Amino acid sequence: MATKAVPGAAATGEPTDVATPATAPNPLRKGLRLERIPEPCTMVIIGATGDLTERKLAPALYNLMLGGFLPPEFTVVGFARRDLSDVAFRERLHASVGDHSRNRPVKASIWASFARSVEYQRGEFHDPNAFAELTKRLARIDRDRGTAGNRLFYLAVPPVLHPEIVRQLAAAGLVASGEARDARHKGWTRVIVEKPFGSDLASARQLNREISEVFNEDQIYRIDHYLGKETVQNLAVFRFGNGLFEPIWNRRYIDSVQITVAETVGIEGRGEFYDQTGALRDIVQNHALQLLAVFAMEPPIEFQASDLRDEKLKVLRAVKPMTQREVALSTVRGQYQAGWVAGEQVSPYREEPEVAPDSQRETYAALKLAIQSWRWAGVPFYLRTGKALATRATEIAVQFKQAPLALFERAGASSLDPNVLAIRIQPDEGILLRFGAKVPGPGLQIRGVNMDFRYGSSFAVDSPDAYETLILDCMIGDASLFTRADELERAWEILDPILTAWESGEGGELHFYEAGSWGPAAADELLERDGRTWRHP
Amino acid sequence: MSRRPAAERALSVHRHLMRFGHAESLVAPPWVEQGTTVSRVAAQLAGLWSHPGPEGEPLVVEKGLPHARASVLNLIVTVPDAVAAERVVTTMQGLGFRHPSRAIVLVADRAAAGPPLDAAVSVHCNAGRDGGDQVCYDVVVLTVRGKAAEHLSGFVAPLLIHDLPTHVWWPGGPPFGDPVFDQLVEMSDRVIVDGSDFSDLLIGFRRLGSLRRRSGVGDLAWRRLRWWQELTAQFFDAPRFRRYLPNLNGLAIRYAVASGKRAPGRPRRRPDAGDVAPGVSSPLAGPILYAGWIASRLTWRRYRTALPLGPDGLRLVLEGRHEMVDLRLEPVVSAADLPGELISVRLRARGEMGAAEFIIDRTADEATVATNADGMTALLRRVMMEPQTESELLAMDLVTDRHDPTYEAALRAAAIFLDAARPSELS
Repeated sequence: MATKAVPGAAATGEPTDVATPATAPNPLRKGLRLERIPEPCTMVIIGATGDLTERKLAPALYNLMLGGFLPPEFTVVGFARRDLSDVAFRERLHASVGDHSRNRPVKASIWASFARSVEYQRGEFHDPNAFAELTKRLARIDRDRGTAGNRLFYLAVPPVLHPEIVRQLAAAGLVASGEARDARHKGWTRVIVEKPFGSDLASARQLNREISEVFNEDQIYRIDHYLGKETVQNLAVFRFGNGLFEPIWNRRYIDSVQITVAETVGIEGRGEFYDQTGALRDIVQNHALQLLAVFAMEPPIEFQASDLRDEKLKVLRAVKPMTQREVALSTVRGQYQAGWVAGEQVSPYREEPEVAPDSQRETYAALKLAIQSWRWAGVPFYLRTGKALATRATEIAVQFKQAPLALFERAGASSLDPNVLAIRIQPDEGILLRFGAKVPGPGLQIRGVNMDFRYGSSFAVDSPDAYETLILDCMIGDASLFTRADELERAWEILDPILTAWESGEGGELHFYEAGSWGPAAADELLERDGRTWRHP
Repeated sequence: MSRRPAAERALSVHRHLMRFGHAESLVAPPWVEQGTTVSRVAAQLAGLWSHPGPEGEPLVVEKGLPHARASVLNLIVTVPDAVAAERVVTTMQGLGFRHPSRAIVLVADRAAAGPPLDAAVSVHCNAGRDGGDQVCYDVVVLTVRGKAAEHLSGFVAPLLIHDLPTHVWWPGGPPFGDPVFDQLVEMSDRVIVDGSDFSDLLIGFRRLGSLRRRSGVGDLAWRRLRWWQELTAQFFDAPRFRRYLPNLNGLAIRYAVASGKRAPGRPRRRPDAGDVAPGVSSPLAGPILYAGWIASRLTWRRYRTALPLGPDGLRLVLEGRHEMVDLRLEPVVSAADLPGELISVRLRARGEMGAAEFIIDRTADEATVATNADGMTALLRRVMMEPQTESELLAMDLVTDRHDPTYEAALRAAAIFLDAARPSELS
């Protein structure tokens, strides 16, 4: 009777530990598509009858389920004011998945099976009884479906309601002590909050304080769907996965950096919201400063959430807030007037519904920032964003310094354009390098040429929707793509003086620009003063 | 007399491969030359993306500029016969925008007379995902005849895009030990085969295992198990079920076999899918790799020689962590499924509160997944399990790292099980 060892993981040098299976990782996961998968959990959507649930969350959850990313025990509880039965809530979700999912049509048998994991709890956000009911329901779900006390609360409601809701969650005993597992609290509790995270430093601090009275920072996931996982990881791999670029990623070789978040759309009927918000709060505070931070940060010790966020914070701390005088010199705010964008006539911002006819709100912002660190001292970072601009483009463009000697000008060649490295984020994510090359022939003529790489035409694989990635990351407990409180507050510290100066009228006048242009002339002058020009991506 | 069938076979291969030159994705008339040389083909390829077309226009234009492409991968495909030719064209065209940058399709006919080399070069572009960026690639079909066909590497090597990974896909059972196969292995970073094409699974698996030192190995039979592995792993992601892993004492795998014998390697159309299915000389390949996967991940040991279980079946007793494991591979005659496809998997374990069972049952493109454990309410759900086309399997393999240690361990385990089932062992 021969006994012969089947070569296993041990033979490949990675011992499989099945001796303590409940705590050891699942040995069957090794080598599969995802080596980490969420533990069984319940996701409670607070505000489950709103637009976000319909357009984003329901399709994202359905797609995650189809893709096999959700654990079998996974359960959804919708919580909202409206009086709905479980069946009626499931029908709503079914309809929204049918309208918005990329996997359509919805297959009846698969939906019927998924729908069994969906429940609804009616309740007012200030009613302790409703949260007490929710507590009972979650305990029952833990018992029946084995969700092990793991809970994710998704606050799909306006931020003004967040403090009240988190207090109610705490009062109902629904907030366990973070990631720690002990005898009293089994399982984890996490909360996802949506932007805007405040409208200035004071309100952001207030909001952070109120949420942090209940949740620890490591339980709070502030979602910014704009900075998708791919962008952050692409940028990190480009910088730190290649030996070529990091040595020149500093003031010795880089002349200046331009970060552009240009939109062709206007305010799309969100007049009331936008007239209180503006481009600085809507885009610069989160997206543009996050791009700046990931672009300029030092290599993290490990590629994981806390190290990444530490490095991003260091960049933001090195951006010194401006004085009132600096605001007037280094910022430009604009507002679009009538014009044509992509062949469509656009009416002036002030004529949009729910916008004040004399509104001073900026739909365009351009800033010149300085990062006062050893790496970046003396390198200007120009940020601009706007609505109703000529094209839709998000990119970071690095302009390198000129070659030290104009060797070819003496030989009769015209002056060379500086090298540019453009990291394009939207649309067509990719990387472009511009350099000078000799035009073939007897003379010495030099032309700038583009070397263009696109992720989409090189790696033909699907990348998932941002919400799917972010919900999955939160369930796994990976906070790399979520904004930490200190980062958020620092971003406001940078922008607060600008907002104050603009609102007091001391930060320079509001400039108007034609819809479909590249913004006000004053923004061009901002760069011309430094002997530079904006790129037209 | 004997040359006639050979000539017909060559013609039939040629006809199939001509489809590359008529594909919808084609962006310019194909370049075809009989009796050509490698340097002429290389020159044609070099000019493809830079030289203007006959009217002076760039070949592929995007936003008014010549299409810029970043190259990612070379793929060499061998076409031993007309059946393979049809399969290769269908599968490669099914890759769509997931196509490698350059594909070299090789038809080697040592017995044929005529010029040593014919070549056809075609350029294709497909819209990327969501209709985005164009993804462009070229396909080079080389027909090599006579003595030259014994030296394929000399024809292929100069035509590869340099400094890129090179994968070799060998549809049908590979001729291990054949000098031509060896030459291509030497040139490649990864050899892709389909275990279910092997005429002798045990020998095939052993040969694949020994290829490891020279090249990475990709197996489409392994890729086909992806959803089964994913669902199986999910049972034990929950810590409360993970403790059953050392106590597993039964694994029963049911898989489809055809009612009659079919010619090996012959493609078969699924009634509801346009894709050509791979040949199924060895329907046991997938099921036994699945068993090998679990056994190697959980360090089960072979304990006793195999017991026969019907003509294509196999029963083994293995030594698990705490329990003896009864492993059964049961063939089920099915007209609705392709031979070799898994139909169900049942894992049994001893638990503190009685037996636990973990079940995956597939019907068509859906599966019922159930857990009966802890004396709790059974967790039952239905999930999608669409069978994947050969194009999808190949596309998945093309983005895989050179070595896959999990597969290699499963392959070794599967070879041990097959060895235990040899007639000499079944005394």
